Amino acid sequence: MHIVKWTVVLSIFWLLLSGYIEPLLLSFGAISVVVVLLVLKRMDKVENEPGHIGTSLRLIRYAPWLIGQIFSSGLHVTKLIWGSPDKVSPALAKISAKDIPPSSRVLYANSITLTPGTLSVDLEEGEVTVHALQESSIAELEEGQMEKKITAIWGENK
Amino acid sequence: MDFLDIVSSMLLLAGVFFGFSGAVGLFRFPDFFTRVHAASVTDSIAAILIIGGLLLQTSFDLNTAKLVFILLFLLVTSPTASHALAKSARHGGLLTLAESSSQDKQESAK
Repeated sequence: MHIVKWTVVLSIFWLLLSGYIEPLLLSFGAISVVVVLLVLKRMDKVENEPGHIGTSLRLIRYAPWLIGQIFSSGLHVTKLIWGSPDKVSPALAKISAKDIPPSSRVLYANSITLTPGTLSVDLEEGEVTVHALQESSIAELEEGQMEKKITAIWGENK
Repeated sequence: MDFLDIVSSMLLLAGVFFGFSGAVGLFRFPDFFTRVHAASVTDSIAAILIIGGLLLQTSFDLNTAKLVFILLFLLVTSPTASHALAKSARHGGLLTLAESSSQDKQESAK
């Protein structure tokens, strides 16, 4: 039952943000959790797929790799900034994301934007339009290392 | 000054350097789309380094959790904002550098 899951997550979130263990503030927290849960229950009727909370274990496997990517491509862009910014060769390309489960495509587009040097401009029908500072980054994306990583971690549930 | 302080100040200094580079790139790059790339250096690396440095300054209590939340939210919202900017620029008809230069050539050929 995802309502129970949300109750636990929201309560922990409130406790971490407030840090006060006093009856008055705890009751405020309880009230706000109940209000959010009521809204959530009503929204579930509007949208037919209830928001699942994924296990964050997958994120723990993915995040270090992504941060590594961010650093290596960020250093590259920084070199361009201080070196010769007029020598950039911007390129625009469509990259297929059909192999990635639909629920993870947003993550793919966001990861592309998060790594400096590539920027997802549009996401339509399993195709991401990517703008890159250099054509080599497009080739790198087409090689599909990031795609494989995401499918390997999130692909097994569907 | 103990070991953690040294690591933390190195992270903070590196973060400041990348944040500054992003700002310089914002002015030096030629067009809108390339400038968004420069800004994303500030978004991602500088944010990770500066918050990482601040994390080591806390005494691993509630403030640590709050900083981790800030980092998580930044890592979700900043690419979304860049994406929204780029998408609306694209749909509004702004051309990329390659496209506009090929259009210039066509016009000069006429």
